[in-house]
Amino acid sequence: MIKNYFKVALKVLGRRKFFTFISLFGISITLLVLLVATAMLDYVFAARTPEVHADRMLGVYDLSMEGDGNIWGSPPGYAFLERTVRPLEKLPNVERISYVTGGITVASYLNGRKIESTLRRTDGDFWRVLGFDFLEGGPFTVADNENGRFVAVINETTRKRFFEGRPAVGRTIEADGQRFRVVGVVRDVPVLRYGSSADLWVPVTSAKTSAYKQEWMGNFYALILARSRADLPAIKAEFQSRLREAEKQLPDPKNYKKLVTGADTLFEGAARLFIPARATVNPANRLRAVLLVLMLGFMLLPTINLVNINLSRILDRASEIGVRRAFGASSRTLVGQFLVENVVLTLIGAAIGLALAAAVLRAFNVSGLIPHTQFQLNFRIFLYGLAIALFFGLFSGVYPAWRMSKLHPVQALRGRSA
Amino acid sequence: MTRHLLKLVWNRKRSNALMILETCVSFLVVFAVATLGLFFLDNYRQPLGFEWKDVWAVGIGRGQSAEEASKAELDAQRATFERLQQEVRSLGPVEAAAGSAVIPFDQGGMSSSYTIDGKDVRMDIDVAGEGFDKVMGLRMVAGRWFEKGDGGQGWNPVVIDRDLARTVYGSADPVGKSFGKADPEELPMRVIGVVNDFRKAGELMPNGNFMFQLQRQGVMNGRVPSHLMVRVRPGTSPEFEEALVKRMQEVAPDWSFEVRPLSQVRTSSFRFFLTPLIVAGTVAFFLLLMVGLGLIGVLWQNLLQRTREIGLRRAAGASRAAVHRQVILEQLLLTTLGVSIGTLLVIQVPILDLISVLSRPVFASGLALALAVIYLISMLCVLYPSMLAARVQPADALRYE
Repeated sequence: MIKNYFKVALKVLGRRKFFTFISLFGISITLLVLLVATAMLDYVFAARTPEVHADRMLGVYDLSMEGDGNIWGSPPGYAFLERTVRPLEKLPNVERISYVTGGITVASYLNGRKIESTLRRTDGDFWRVLGFDFLEGGPFTVADNENGRFVAVINETTRKRFFEGRPAVGRTIEADGQRFRVVGVVRDVPVLRYGSSADLWVPVTSAKTSAYKQEWMGNFYALILARSRADLPAIKAEFQSRLREAEKQLPDPKNYKKLVTGADTLFEGAARLFIPARATVNPANRLRAVLLVLMLGFMLLPTINLVNINLSRILDRASEIGVRRAFGASSRTLVGQFLVENVVLTLIGAAIGLALAAAVLRAFNVSGLIPHTQFQLNFRIFLYGLAIALFFGLFSGVYPAWRMSKLHPVQALRGRSA
Repeated sequence: MTRHLLKLVWNRKRSNALMILETCVSFLVVFAVATLGLFFLDNYRQPLGFEWKDVWAVGIGRGQSAEEASKAELDAQRATFERLQQEVRSLGPVEAAAGSAVIPFDQGGMSSSYTIDGKDVRMDIDVAGEGFDKVMGLRMVAGRWFEKGDGGQGWNPVVIDRDLARTVYGSADPVGKSFGKADPEELPMRVIGVVNDFRKAGELMPNGNFMFQLQRQGVMNGRVPSHLMVRVRPGTSPEFEEALVKRMQEVAPDWSFEVRPLSQVRTSSFRFFLTPLIVAGTVAFFLLLMVGLGLIGVLWQNLLQRTREIGLRRAAGASRAAVHRQVILEQLLLTTLGVSIGTLLVIQVPILDLISVLSRPVFASGLALALAVIYLISMLCVLYPSMLAARVQPADALRYE
C-alpha cells in the first residue's frame, strides 16, 4: 500500500512541475537554514578534539556571587577553585582535574610586525583531560608547571606566523613580554570551543604575579574528568555541597552571601554564560526552550506557505479524490495517503536542503569568518535533519489532508471545492 | 464595488484566511528587519561626540582584581599607573594620554542608576582621568573637564553629557550644581562640566545618558583604570606600538599590556551589530522569495478554480481590463486585511513603550517600508495569474463544465 502511495506521490509531483518547484524551494530553504544552525550548534557542543571526552567531562566556567541586590559575575578565581573543586580529586569517580584560564589576547612583535595571539595558562593535567592532536613535540608536564618553567605548546597557525611553518620545537617564542620555549605544536582548535581554544598554552606558574592565588573571582575554569558518564550526577551534587560549605567563608560576607554556579557539561556551561545565573532556574532547560521557540518561530512562515500550496494542490485533484471516495476509500485512508505524499515531498526537499547546507558550510569554512572552524555535516546532523523534515512534513500536511478527507464525493467528482 | 469584493473574499474565507495569515506574518518579518536596519541607519547619522582616529586603547592587565587587593597594594598600583602615564606622555609620537575604565566601541561597560528628584535616571559611566577630553577630542558645551587638583574638596566632580544634563536639569545650567542624592558612604557629586555627546557604544547605538567620574582615590574602590587611552600624532607608524609596549613593560614589568587601535575596536563593533542584521536580512529575503512564489502558485490555482465564474463575467460583457482589475483589487483587499492585522500588532510597540530606544520616526519609517515591500510583492505576484485570468474566454467557462 505504502509503495503505491509512493508511486502516486511521485506521479503527482511530476504532474504540476511549477507547484512541485515552489514547494521544494520552500522546503529546501527552510531545511537549509535549520541544518546550518544545527551543524553550528553540534560543532560547539559535541565531543570533538580536544574535548574528546566531552561526554564524561564537567567544567566550572562561571561564578556568580549574590547578595541583597548585588550580583557579581565572572569566571571563577583560583582560590575559589582550590576550595571547591580541588577536593573532588579525592572522589573515586573523578579521574583528573585541570585548571585553565580564559583566553587572553597577547601581542608579539616580530621584525616590526605585530602578531596577536590568544594565550591560556594551564597545568600539566590539562593535556590528559583533553586530547589534542600533536603535530610535533608533546605537552608540557605537571613538573614543568610546578617548577615554573617557561615552556609553551603552540598551535599550527602560530607556528606558521612565527616560524613560517617550519618545525618549532626547541625554538623560542616571545609573547606579552615573556619568552617561552616551544615544546609542542598542536592542530588548530576552533575558537568556538570556549574552554580550550588558544594559540599558545603556557604553565599557570608563568603568570607575571602570583596574585591570582588569592582570588575568588578571576579568570580560571576548572575541568573535571569523570571515570564514566554515569558518575556525572554524583560529582555535580558533591560540587554543590562544596559550594554550600564555601558560602560559610566568603571573602565579603556583608555584600555577598550566595554562590551560584555548577559543574556543567559543555551545553550547560554555554547556557549559563548566555542566561544570567539565578539559583532557581536550570539554564540548560532555558536554553533548550529558547532554541525550540526560535526554531518553531522560524518555521511558522514556511509552514503556512506550504499549507497554502498543499491546499491548492488538493483542490486541483478534487476529481481524483471524488473517484476514490466514491469507490469507498475512508477519510483515514485519504489522510494517510496525503500525509505520505507530503512527507515524500518534504524528504526530497530535505535532501536538496542537505546538499545546499553542505555548500553553505563549505563557504563558511573557506571564508575564515570564524577562525580555525571546519563545519561539516555528519550522521548525527543527518538524523536531526531527518527528524526536522518529518516534523515539518507532518505539521504542514495535517490540515490540508483533513480538508481533503472532508470533500464530499459528489462535489469532488464535479471538480469543486467544498 | 468594495462591498462586492468583500463578499467575494468572504465566500472563499477558508483559503483566504490562510493567505491573510501568511501576509500578516510576512509583514511582521519585514517590519522587524526593516526597523532594525533603519534604527542603525538613523543612529549612524547622529554625531558621535568623539574622535576615534589615531587613538589607541592600551589595556592594562594587573593579574589581580582590585576588589581583592589590599589598601597598600592599591596605593602601589596607583603610583605605578601615574609613572606609566608620565612616561607615555613624554614619548615623541604621543599627543595625549589618559586613564579610562571603558573603551569606546567595546561591548563591555559600566552603568548605574541614580535617584534624582524622585525619578530613577539610568546612565552609562566612565571613570576617566585628566586629559581624557584631549585624547578623545571631546567638546565641552559648558564648564570644564577635570584638571589636576580636582577632587579632595569634600565632593566628587563629575562631567555629564548633554542628554543627561537635559534629563536632570532641563534647561537650567548644570555647572556647579550637586548631582543626585549623596550615598551616606560616598562623597556627594557635583557637576563641573557638560560635554556635547559621548556615544560610547559607537555610531550604531542610540545616544543616551553618560556621566564621567574623575579617576582618583575613593572612586570605584580606588582601582587603577583598566585602560590607558593614547592619542598619537596622525601618521604614526604601527611600529611605534612595539616601542610603546616595551617602554610600558619596563616601567611595570608585572603588568600586561594590550594595544588596540580604536579603529580596530570600531570595526569589530560594527561586525558585532551588523552580522545579526545581515543574517536576519538574508533569511528574510529567502522567506519572502518563498512566500512570493507560493503566492503566485496559490493565486494561479485559485483563478483556475474560478474559470467558470470569470468566463461568465466575460460572457456577460465584462472587458478583459475589468477582469484584470477585479483580480488585482481582490488581492489588494486580502493584502490590506493581512497588513492591517500586522499593523495592529506592531503598533502596540510604541503604545505600550515596549522598546524604549525605538524613536517614533524610526518606527514610522520601518512601518512604511514594510508596507511598501509587502504591497510590492503582493502586486508582483498577482500580475501573472491575473493576466491568465483575463485571457479566459467565455467559451472556456462552458467547456469547463
